[in-house]
Amino acid sequence: MVYFGPQTNKSEVLDMIIIGENIHVIAQAVSTAMRERNAKVIQDLTKAQTEAGADYIDLNVGPMKKDTEETMQWLVSTVQGATDLQLSIDTLNPVAMEAGLKACQKRPLLNSASGKTTSKEQMLPLAKKYNCNVVISVMTDKGMPPDVESKVDSIMGTVEYANELGIPNEDIWVDPILLPISTAGEGQRFTVLNLEFIKILGDVLPGVKSTVGLSNTSNGVPDQLRPLLNRTYLVMLGRNGLYSAIADPLDKELMSLIKGEIPKIIELIHKTMDKEDIDLSALSQKQVEYVKTARVLMGETLYSDAWLES
Amino acid sequence: MDYKAPVEAYTGVVREVTIGKGNKSLRIGGENTLPLHFFDQGSNPNPVKFALEVLDMKPEDWPEHAVEPFRDVISDPVSWAKKCQSFGVDAVSLFLMSTDPAVKDGPADKAAELARKVAEAINVPLIVYGSGDEKKDVEVLSKVAEVCDGMNLLIGPVLKENYEAVGRAILDHGHTAIAQSPLDINLLKELNVKLSKIFPPDRIVIDPLSSALGYGMEYSFSLIERVKQIGVITKDSMTMMPIIANLGVECWKTKQAKENKKQGLLWEGMTALSLLLAGANIIVLRHPETLKLIKETIGAR
Repeated sequence: MVYFGPQTNKSEVLDMIIIGENIHVIAQAVSTAMRERNAKVIQDLTKAQTEAGADYIDLNVGPMKKDTEETMQWLVSTVQGATDLQLSIDTLNPVAMEAGLKACQKRPLLNSASGKTTSKEQMLPLAKKYNCNVVISVMTDKGMPPDVESKVDSIMGTVEYANELGIPNEDIWVDPILLPISTAGEGQRFTVLNLEFIKILGDVLPGVKSTVGLSNTSNGVPDQLRPLLNRTYLVMLGRNGLYSAIADPLDKELMSLIKGEIPKIIELIHKTMDKEDIDLSALSQKQVEYVKTARVLMGETLYSDAWLES
Repeated sequence: MDYKAPVEAYTGVVREVTIGKGNKSLRIGGENTLPLHFFDQGSNPNPVKFALEVLDMKPEDWPEHAVEPFRDVISDPVSWAKKCQSFGVDAVSLFLMSTDPAVKDGPADKAAELARKVAEAINVPLIVYGSGDEKKDVEVLSKVAEVCDGMNLLIGPVLKENYEAVGRAILDHGHTAIAQSPLDINLLKELNVKLSKIFPPDRIVIDPLSSALGYGMEYSFSLIERVKQIGVITKDSMTMMPIIANLGVECWKTKQAKENKKQGLLWEGMTALSLLLAGANIIVLRHPETLKLIKETIGAR
């Protein structure tokens, strides 16, 4: 495992794989377009994300109870008509999943499986059958593991199960599951422990990759402040070795950060993580905001919606 | 080899807040250690203080055994407040309940006049709680602040929804504020951050909401404990304020406290004892015998 200590430069975040999150059934325009088979809406979103530099296009279709197979085939071929990127099929419905995987021309990402019994029995075999990459979350039948140790225990169990099915570590993208930082009391604790989890993951499961649903972190936070939390956390997770993230490629500043176009901000976030003394008065307002945000995400200061104001 | 127990020295100091004026004044907070950490460095210059409740109207839902100590003064808030003093209180807490639009919707100026009379009649500081109606309290608490100009009452609740107007009035007339948020440390901090922009933080007391034993007390306990830890250990300026535990009203709502006197005293007493162990700096009780019980318990340490 590569240790990304204080001496490393920005290059480690340059390799971050971005899975574009914008085709999401919760978005009204997307769900309407899927129902009405409006290819233009879907293809516009696909092109926009492709041009913005996404590496994968996520198709989050929800449970998809009606016309499952036909809708999946239509959606996948519509998206493939507008991009050469690989797809991430994002559903908990195994029928929709198989239909989606089957329709993919390039090697897809199964998003996602978990340690729950139903998922192990229905999703993981699909990953083997279609020889694809697979996101596996730390969730088990017992629910969400509450600390780093139990997250490690859970994921090791599930990865071992996947290995026995013939899925190698290299095809597994571990998802620690991000929770909103604004959740009273607990949210910030999870933000901190997920940083730690990503940092040790490569040691406990050599070869596995990792991913997160980045925007979850800022769920419940005032809209105008969400991108700042997402961007800062991505840089922090990237430094700890995160391989990929489901995120918004249309956030220009986020993409600039991971392309290494704003090295000063990355350096400041790293310094904050190393608890170096930082003279805030010498920084621009934007730089100060990144430092304050990093301090909140690493648990150095208590979160509140007014975190930039104090 | 001799064992030497490690001693922690903390860097955060809870702000010392003064309420009342002159010989009627009282200091709360000021500690730079955690509650009960007698083994660590630091001290608590102002051990926990106690207030008793007075209502601005004859209480309607109090059980007989809660009314009993104040039966002769129950319709007269001024005499009631004076009687509280005979039980050895550090402060009196007046609840302007009748101003609540859902109760009597009483006028602000009448309530403010009563607050002034009570404050003048007693020789301990006065705490004034509005009804908690975010709109009506703007009117009521602003009027109280104005009519009691310069008396440095402890006035609240100042809420996220009305902190600008209420905070401004409390500040302009030389009082101290109770910042109240609903059992959530993130919201608590947010309110303190926002209020502190227009109001000196050394005149803010935190009311985190105090739930009764069996009705969520453990949430209040954990929250108070956490506020103290974050203030004293990590030196978070926006949680380094003293805490008021206004618990009498919550305890005496319970079926258990209403059922019989002994149970009521113990219910209120256990809640008070727990929250003072968590780190509350001033506690508002309803029953004078609970006050006696708690003081004896602390004295026996």
